Amino acid sequence: MDTPPIVSIRRLTKHYGAVRAVDGISFDVRDASVFTLLGPNGAGKTTTLEILEGIRRPNAGDLTVFGRTVRHVDRGLKEEMGVLLQEGGFEPYLRVREVLQLFSSFFRRPRPIEEVLADVALTEKASALVRTLSGGQKQRLAIATALINDPRLVFLDEPTTGLDPQARRNIWAIAERLRTAGKAIILTTHYMEEAEALSDDVAVMDHGTIIATGTPRELCAQLGQTTIIEFDASGVGSEELSTLQGCCRAIRQDGSLVVAETDDFLKTMEHLLAWSANRAEGLRDITVRQPNLEDVFLTLTGRRLRE
Amino acid sequence: MKDCRRLARVHVTTALRERVTFFWYLVFPLFLLVILTLIFSNIGSVGDLTLPIGLVNQETPSATADFATIIEDVFLSLSQAGTASQTTLFDLRSPDPTHDASAPSESQLNAVRNGDITALLLIPEGFNQDVLKAVTTDSGPATLTVYLSGGRSSSELAESVIEQVIAGLDEQILTTLGRFDPLSTFAVEHRTIAAADDEPFQYVDFLLPGILLMGFFTTGLFGVPGTILFGRDRGILRRYWVTPLTVPRYLAGFSMGHGALCLLQFVCLWLVGRFALGATVVIFRPLPLLFLVLGAVTFLAFGFFVASVARTANAGMAIANILNMPMMFLGGLFFPIGDLPLALRAVMYVNPMTYLADGLRGTLGIDVAMFPLPVALAVPAAWTLVCIVVAGSRLRWGVER
Amino acid sequence: MGGGTMRSLHALVRAEMATFVRDRASLLLTFLFPVLFILIFGSLMGDMGSTDDIAIGVVATRGDAGDSLRTAISASGTLRFNEYETVEQLLQGIETGSLDFGVVWEDGLLVFYYDPRRIQENVPFQEVARGIASRLRLAAQGLEPVVVLRTIPVGGQPEVPWIHVAVPGILAFSILSAGLSAIAGHVTSMKQRKLLDRLIVTPMRPTLFLLAVVIVRLLVTFASTLITLLLAVVVFGLRFDVNWLQYCVLVVSATVGMMGLGTAISLLVRQASSAGHISTILSITMMFISGIYFPIEIMPRFLRVISYATPLRHMAEAMRYATGVMEMSPARFWIISAALFALGALLLPLLARYVVRSGR
Repeated sequence: MDTPPIVSIRRLTKHYGAVRAVDGISFDVRDASVFTLLGPNGAGKTTTLEILEGIRRPNAGDLTVFGRTVRHVDRGLKEEMGVLLQEGGFEPYLRVREVLQLFSSFFRRPRPIEEVLADVALTEKASALVRTLSGGQKQRLAIATALINDPRLVFLDEPTTGLDPQARRNIWAIAERLRTAGKAIILTTHYMEEAEALSDDVAVMDHGTIIATGTPRELCAQLGQTTIIEFDASGVGSEELSTLQGCCRAIRQDGSLVVAETDDFLKTMEHLLAWSANRAEGLRDITVRQPNLEDVFLTLTGRRLRE
Repeated sequence: MKDCRRLARVHVTTALRERVTFFWYLVFPLFLLVILTLIFSNIGSVGDLTLPIGLVNQETPSATADFATIIEDVFLSLSQAGTASQTTLFDLRSPDPTHDASAPSESQLNAVRNGDITALLLIPEGFNQDVLKAVTTDSGPATLTVYLSGGRSSSELAESVIEQVIAGLDEQILTTLGRFDPLSTFAVEHRTIAAADDEPFQYVDFLLPGILLMGFFTTGLFGVPGTILFGRDRGILRRYWVTPLTVPRYLAGFSMGHGALCLLQFVCLWLVGRFALGATVVIFRPLPLLFLVLGAVTFLAFGFFVASVARTANAGMAIANILNMPMMFLGGLFFPIGDLPLALRAVMYVNPMTYLADGLRGTLGIDVAMFPLPVALAVPAAWTLVCIVVAGSRLRWGVER
Repeated sequence: MGGGTMRSLHALVRAEMATFVRDRASLLLTFLFPVLFILIFGSLMGDMGSTDDIAIGVVATRGDAGDSLRTAISASGTLRFNEYETVEQLLQGIETGSLDFGVVWEDGLLVFYYDPRRIQENVPFQEVARGIASRLRLAAQGLEPVVVLRTIPVGGQPEVPWIHVAVPGILAFSILSAGLSAIAGHVTSMKQRKLLDRLIVTPMRPTLFLLAVVIVRLLVTFASTLITLLLAVVVFGLRFDVNWLQYCVLVVSATVGMMGLGTAISLLVRQASSAGHISTILSITMMFISGIYFPIEIMPRFLRVISYATPLRHMAEAMRYATGVMEMSPARFWIISAALFALGALLLPLLARYVVRSGR
């Protein structure tokens, strides 16, 4: 038995003049799951998200949210949604509690402020002025404003960009708790680890269209029985790279690493070992791994997640 | 409604917590009110100021009809305090006794030139003769020379005071000579034209309505574009638009907050004006209150207009700064507008402040209004309408609605 | 200084200049404000204090009383007098501003009527009125004044309209705000936006950067004061007897001095953003008690005392001296200039430390 998706998008379109930012995309978001929209800059995911958040109007398409089909997101839908914007500010001279009181007044059935503060671990900062908060604390405050109405659907747009690892883990924990509590989350991120750790479903977007969907595992599996071999690239010139082409399906230089994708691990490894025996540098810092979302992304779009 | 109320409260709270806005909204108008009242209640009078002057008497003293010595004595007495705590009108710096008194010394003239003394009075030789001749023949008056420092306000003040002393001496001399009968002369009064209610004029009564309007003006001209543009530029407003809050409700809350700020300004200014400075103007009447409310509303709308014309917060503040001075000073807030060249006159007639100040003072009975009441109400109201229309169509909120 | 340093300085000056010019808002404020001040105040109160062309109202009376009144008025200077049929009309004339003041006989009392709102102008009006009253009192008994005062101006410009004395004050104020805002405003905002940090990591010495800021600001104050002066001459036909040496010395030392003051403010405030606001508040407060718009003599004593401690007061007087409006002892002028320059010379180097200080 399948519960109906909490969000269903069909043929969503948004264009600016001749530019089609969102070109007739469709996808479903399952209830109580994390749906991640991946895509490089300019892919159209920000626009898509803004349409779903109700601050941009689509040119065409159907949005079915909470079982109701609409052309654009209205006030009623917003009552049940919580949005964490990628960029936004707060009045610097308001206290944390006052910010939540303000946002609380926008909704019909807000939760008690103390509860929300506890959810995001900002209780001790309740009387602090916004201008005294750190980046991570401001982000948690923003999340708090997104949760003040106990929403059924939460948008997390780049929730951990620019945060330190500890802050990032805090926010992952919050997202996990939300999913466990039965909420649906639409996430966008640049961070592969984040996408892999949190996502139940992933949609990859580029140039206004969705080019792949599925669970992380399904997407990685699209790359087949591929194994990835990485090693230190010092001393490897482009001619050497081209001589190595034959040993694997694809080989490239990525920053300080050489990355080789192969279907036949043993054969490629033999070739590399033979090649490196004659080199002064040898074969250093070898990593052998399964493909991850970054690799999928690169294969599908030709670009990296974090540009 | 709770969102509007909460937004209003946020508007007021943030304005008061931020030191800058707190200063410009509350402290500065109070400061201006107090300092201008203090200064201008003293104007024309010397107050507790002592003017240093010099006196050179070139006339040889004589036993009879020694007018020169009389004059010198008068000035001497004006520079000696009866008790130690009294301030004297003058501080007579005696000329150098070793110097030949046939002409004022270079050092004395330099003292005048440099402002060390504010005036040097010279009683010439033959003065007594000249006075007698002036009384008995048609030869014209005797002259006293006073040296003043050009361009120096203290010298001007000294001249004015010396003139008054001399005028009094004139009569005294003629009385002594039996020519002038002080009992049969008339008295002189200097009066200000009374306004409608025959109360004696106090500058603070004239100033207080102007400062009230100035406070509303500042809040509207700077506060409104500042808050909105800053909110938009910093993404503060964006966070609101992803909630069920709509732009109209935001504006409603914002306006309520603006009104509350204006009310706060009014209360503070009125309390200080009434109880600390003794203003007697009766402000709690329907028409004056109407003008105050109209003022708050007009400047709120004007603020929206400025916000819609500027693209960034910085541009908005620059525009506000440029408009600030002309609108305030060419609106009759601090002094009445007399003859103006055509260009400035045009500004005056276009400026809504002119009508608000005129109407407010007129209905308070401080002034006779320049404009009939309907006009004074209609022009700011028209401005409000135009501003709202323009702002309504131009203002970008960063959300497609 | 080596050639390399000169080249760096040159580049820095050009960069600073470009920054200043591109900041339209700041540009406008610096140049437009003094101009606006002069235009507005010059038009509103420009000829205050001059006794030419004062409009006096009288009620048309026949006979000796009327004649002697007119004679007394004519003897008091080049005044215009308007005759009215009734006292009410005369009072209305005062209200509407077509009269400056009026004189009326009321039950054997000589009454002068003034518009109370014209606070500052009434002072010279009352003087004229007193002169008329004295003459009349004597004339009523067939007498003429036996003692008159002859004024001889010593130094400075005699008998000038108010605007003439106000212009140097406005110039001084524009130097004050330009100097203050160059540091407590411009430099602090650069610090705030981390622009200074980028400069620090280059081999360039912070002092060179500050020198560039000083040079550009000097160019700005020279340009702005000269433009304002020119405007005053052209629009209001004022004459100034400018001693160019003193003028230049004053502009340089005052600018440097005010930049020093700005440095003090920047070092004392906790937040870079507050510096600009504090300097604005300070300059506006100074403006009121420095004798630029109304004479210091009419202020209560405690304000007069505070006024002495205000740099703007001395800057204004020095500027009046340099533009030939008012005299002072040359020693005093040079002391003021030296003090201003010293203020800047002592404090500005501290700014170098501020520039390299790590932001909070």
